[in-house]
Amino acid sequence: MGLDQLLNARHDLCRGRAVSAATPAGLSTGFVALDALLPWRGWPPGALSEILTDRPGGGLALLKPALARLSAEARWLLFLDPPFIPFAPALAASGVELTRLLVVGGGEAAWAAEQGLRSGACSAVLIWGGRWGMATLRRLQLAAEAGGSAAFLFRGEDAANEHSPAVLRLRVRHALAGMEVMVLRLRGGRGGTWLELPLPNGGGGKSQFSSPASHKPTEGLLRQPV
Amino acid sequence: MRWLAIHLPALPLEVYARSLQVEIPMAVSQQDKGEKILLGNRRATALGVRPGMPVGSAQALAADLKTLPRKPRAEHAALTGLAAWCGRFTPELSLEPPYALVLEVAGSLQLFGGAEALLEQVANGVDGLGYRASCCLAPTPGGALVLAACGHRGVIADLHALRTALAKLPLSALGFGRQGLEDLRRMGLRGIGELLRLPRAGLAERFGVERVQHLLRLLGEVPDLRPRFEPPTRYRGRIELAVEVVRADALVFPCRRLLEELGGFLMGRQSGVQQLTWHLHHEEEGETRFILGTGRPERDPQLWLELLRERLMRLSLPAGVRALTLGARDLQPLFPADQELFPELEGRRAPDTRLLDRLRARLGDEAVRGLVLMADHRPERAWRWGAPGEVGVGRGRPDRPLWLLAEPLPLHVCNRRPWWDGELDLGVERERIETGWWDGHEVARDYFVATTTKGERLWIYRDLNGRRGWFLHGLFG
Repeated sequence: MGLDQLLNARHDLCRGRAVSAATPAGLSTGFVALDALLPWRGWPPGALSEILTDRPGGGLALLKPALARLSAEARWLLFLDPPFIPFAPALAASGVELTRLLVVGGGEAAWAAEQGLRSGACSAVLIWGGRWGMATLRRLQLAAEAGGSAAFLFRGEDAANEHSPAVLRLRVRHALAGMEVMVLRLRGGRGGTWLELPLPNGGGGKSQFSSPASHKPTEGLLRQPV
Repeated sequence: MRWLAIHLPALPLEVYARSLQVEIPMAVSQQDKGEKILLGNRRATALGVRPGMPVGSAQALAADLKTLPRKPRAEHAALTGLAAWCGRFTPELSLEPPYALVLEVAGSLQLFGGAEALLEQVANGVDGLGYRASCCLAPTPGGALVLAACGHRGVIADLHALRTALAKLPLSALGFGRQGLEDLRRMGLRGIGELLRLPRAGLAERFGVERVQHLLRLLGEVPDLRPRFEPPTRYRGRIELAVEVVRADALVFPCRRLLEELGGFLMGRQSGVQQLTWHLHHEEEGETRFILGTGRPERDPQLWLELLRERLMRLSLPAGVRALTLGARDLQPLFPADQELFPELEGRRAPDTRLLDRLRARLGDEAVRGLVLMADHRPERAWRWGAPGEVGVGRGRPDRPLWLLAEPLPLHVCNRRPWWDGELDLGVERERIETGWWDGHEVARDYFVATTTKGERLWIYRDLNGRRGWFLHGLFG
């Protein structure tokens, strides 16, 4: 059995560090320390990323700077089956152009996500609902590639044990000073690193940024793998 | 002038049969001293069913034969629908009931790549709508119609060739009726060729001026003026279902026939529509009606079909369906390069609405929404659901949480302090929101950004009215 066959047959294997010079540039996460950890220097473009959290609605703050920048494109930002109401005043203050925002319910997350990604009409698709197996996740990844759209799937922490074709899997927890982000899996990079990031602007009254829409990368404190 | 005739020999059968993807033994009957078979399809003929046979005998021959009553009104409607579709090739055409159309195509030959290519496109298109047709292109409308009715397919280049082609046909092809045919036979004629060789001079006296004029029109020696079909300003198509349909997804195939027809009609008018109205007619009284909408005018049948598929998936039929009607009105001009006119406006352009159409078709209008800012201090009124892309009036608030709970959640209170996974740290800042006395939704609350023992930050408030309790209203995510 050749290496390629093996990689195709076994979903729990992935090619290490294959991407280097050819890695396409991603969209800055808005956090210098996180960008530095990721081979795309940001969120992987046209690909599926998973964000695992211990609370429904957790991890959205991590995407805020990227969402603000993506909403400048003439494409939709699709929120699929969000667990609560995305609060317009907070999103607007982060620089998110609300007229690009599309909130879709209806409980058919897998279908709707694929439509959104494949259409090319969405800059990013954020997905909360749905049940996911390897086959449906693979469809998401392919659709994200086809549509040049970033897919962010929010899942519970227990999904960490499940196989996935996602190119990036992060675990986000609350920390006293902000967020604790752990890179669980990274195609073409090193997993197992973790870092603590301050919260981007908003929340708690004191803004981290002088201007809400400045997208100034926020420094983070890099920790060594545990 | 060049004329293209479309003759539909099996139209009475096809008004039903075109709803079916798979051929079943089928025949149409009509009243003629008892219910008699008018026409059977290939499979019925193979079983021995013949025109003129009493329906009872036909059914004795073929037990699974489906016999349906002839519907002249449906035939006429089908012909009109086909004429509307033909608008994509030329605006000049005439209905030739009961079974034919004739198109004036001199102006279209170049656009469609010549006579042969045009004929092929028409023939393929008609076939795609579910009709078996013979199509003939000739220098006169009458000539084209007569030849097509005799099963002649192809292009007749000039008047000489037309005369030669007509000469080979039997006298019955002229359509003079029983009396006319009788008269010609009494003159000792056996075919059109012999008739054409007769000296013109005495012909009118022996045969009648009107009939000779008809002949001259066929040959292109006198002009042949026909009533022009006025294309309708809206589309309405109907299809009879040969077999009652009980599952909504089985409607896709017949619906596609209508969408194709609509597509040709819209192309002829260089238009698109934003709304299709579908009526599903049930066996008993009543109908199911639904509307398919798009964000901008569309005409591509494939795109409409995709939307329809999604819509049919969540449709439950109260009863079987016997016929379908598709209506489309409010045509809007549509040009091929509509969206590419100002590429530099990319950033200001609204995102593609086709995705919205697809999502709405499957999930329903209410499941696809946008967020609109509102100028109000009350959190629950500082925003509202709106149409995607709708512009709001309020301003952003950096101190607000990313998530709002639809209903504030009462918090457990212990030692007069709110709890959530342990005692909450309320921080130092308090924001009082006290407003709304004027519209009956008065609020008086003190908001805090509370931190749980695990570091999660919550937006909570203490109600200063009524219950005076503590509530969770938002999460900072």
